[in-house]
Amino acid sequence: MKTTSIQSMKSILALLAVSLTALLVLPLVNLADAATGEKEYVKLRNEIWNLFFRMTTAAFVVGAVVSGTIIWLVWRFRESHPKNKAPTKWETGEAAH
Amino acid sequence: MGHDTAEWVYVGVICGILAWVGADSWYVEKLVDDVPKDAEVIKVTAQQWFWTFEHKDGTKEVGQLHLKKGQPYKFEITSKDVNHAFNMPDWVIMQDAIPGRINKAWFVPDQVGEFPIQCREYCGLLHYNMRGTLYIEDNK
Repeated sequence: MKTTSIQSMKSILALLAVSLTALLVLPLVNLADAATGEKEYVKLRNEIWNLFFRMTTAAFVVGAVVSGTIIWLVWRFRESHPKNKAPTKWETGEAAH
Repeated sequence: MGHDTAEWVYVGVICGILAWVGADSWYVEKLVDDVPKDAEVIKVTAQQWFWTFEHKDGTKEVGQLHLKKGQPYKFEITSKDVNHAFNMPDWVIMQDAIPGRINKAWFVPDQVGEFPIQCREYCGLLHYNMRGTLYIEDNK
């Protein structure tokens, strides 16, 4: 059981690492491409709209992570959850000894 | 893994995303603030309730603006009476026009056509009708 949760934590971390790396690397590739061309001006409206879409994506990711965590907490620590049937060691008083 | 590893990962991910949001916005803001050196200056004057545009050779246009495709332009925006806002929605340009102050905005049109210009700050009775037209022509 513990191994499974460590494995799933590792895959979540790997997924996050890949996503964050992609977010950092893609703009750099874009810049490198732009540098090879002839004289080109910044396309203002493209930059601003692209920023808007990236920020929207970030906002939705944060929203999903935060609300997902809250939903999971409520679901996992409800009284009727099977894992919460047996009293904890703090409830039985074992932890005090 | 300690008992609090997941919490630290959670905090780290959120802080990482927020740091990226700040850095990316700052970078794009610097990028769009940088006016090209060869930009042609257009003086934009707002007053109730029309726009006046002055080209670098001194010619003036009222309520319409003719520009060339591919040429960078820098707008120096001011107002003669109350606060207005110079807005060309299709080009994502909006800048306040304030009496006694010159604000700047710039862009490079990359598409010919007719585009609306409007006031985007409530400036009195006929604010709704303080419009103009931007004509972008081929630079040939």
